[in-house]
Amino acid sequence: MKVTIKIFRYNPEQDKKFHYETYVVENAHETDRVLDLLEHVKGYNDGTLSFRRSCAHGVCGSDAMRINGHNMLACKTLVRDIGDQITVEPIMGLKVVKDLIVDMEPFFDNYKKVLPWFISDAPTPADGRERLQSPEQRARFDESTKCILCAACTTSCPSFWASDDYLGPAAFVAAHRFVFDSRDQAASERLEIVAETNGLARCHTAFNCTMACPREIQITQAIGELKMATVTGRVE
Amino acid sequence: MEKAKPKVLPLNKRGMNFEMFMWIITRLTALAMYGLILTAIVGALIMGARNQMNLADVLRWGFMPNNPHVLNTDVPDLAPWSTPFWRTVASLLLLVATAHGVHGLVAIADDYIVTPRGRRIVRVLSIIMMISMSLIGLYVIWIS
Repeated sequence: MKVTIKIFRYNPEQDKKFHYETYVVENAHETDRVLDLLEHVKGYNDGTLSFRRSCAHGVCGSDAMRINGHNMLACKTLVRDIGDQITVEPIMGLKVVKDLIVDMEPFFDNYKKVLPWFISDAPTPADGRERLQSPEQRARFDESTKCILCAACTTSCPSFWASDDYLGPAAFVAAHRFVFDSRDQAASERLEIVAETNGLARCHTAFNCTMACPREIQITQAIGELKMATVTGRVE
Repeated sequence: MEKAKPKVLPLNKRGMNFEMFMWIITRLTALAMYGLILTAIVGALIMGARNQMNLADVLRWGFMPNNPHVLNTDVPDLAPWSTPFWRTVASLLLLVATAHGVHGLVAIADDYIVTPRGRRIVRVLSIIMMISMSLIGLYVIWIS
């Protein structure tokens, strides 16, 4: 099949303004991924096309981009699911570095603010092995362990488009991961961080994050649980 | 098994601040509005609205149970619609709706006004607007 792919292009060394370029990929297959099409364009049409990719299997989260107006991973999006007219743009709310590559620093700065690592003063178990928890305790935060930091959620959020000071859904998911972990002892510190002025109160429950997440994490629900934790104090 | 952490964090250790307090207030005022509107509609039906008012008038009364809203209907006697009970319901509805609406506006404005000074100005203006609207509304409810 023939696929027409329109790609956002911007080279800061040459262009004053972004523009779109359209390429036709002959002999594409309906099981091809958008990433395959981009590789084809880069390999056969224009070697200067720039985009991030790494594992190409939906695990590393490098290739989040806006495909036909929706945030998706290029490596998980098949041609048969989106048709033969495809528009590819960078994710929104972050500065474009070149073509489909954006500056992820503001995203990671917000992520780091919620202390996304295990914190506990409890001594290591006597046998020196793992800090155990029950399957039920583990299941409490299972959803939020799936995040791959692709930024599809945060860059689909209208509150983040308005201000990149807003912590954003990915940071909330990271906070949720530890706040509800029975072994972690810094729930209080994290809740104080996510409840600040540019935190939970800026979430207007638009559900864009949940729709965009390639790992199908129920992000809006996780944010709701954090909101209720600040009100009720329940962190189990 | 790891020693269990507290199931419930104390009030001063859970991040509860003005933002989150207003977040929960906005949810509670929304629920209160549902309750008050339902009270007004049920009350209107009990007082005979089914035969004396059309649907638009019933809804107008429901959203603000103030006696001028039944003036141009077939209601024969305005007295049952002007009791202190209904004025109190109307006052409560006015206050919760104003608090809910103004905080909603502040929440949206905060998305676009990101400097602390700008946000402070918007908050002060919003509080002045909220108090003014509430006072004017209460005056209309209790003198009508």
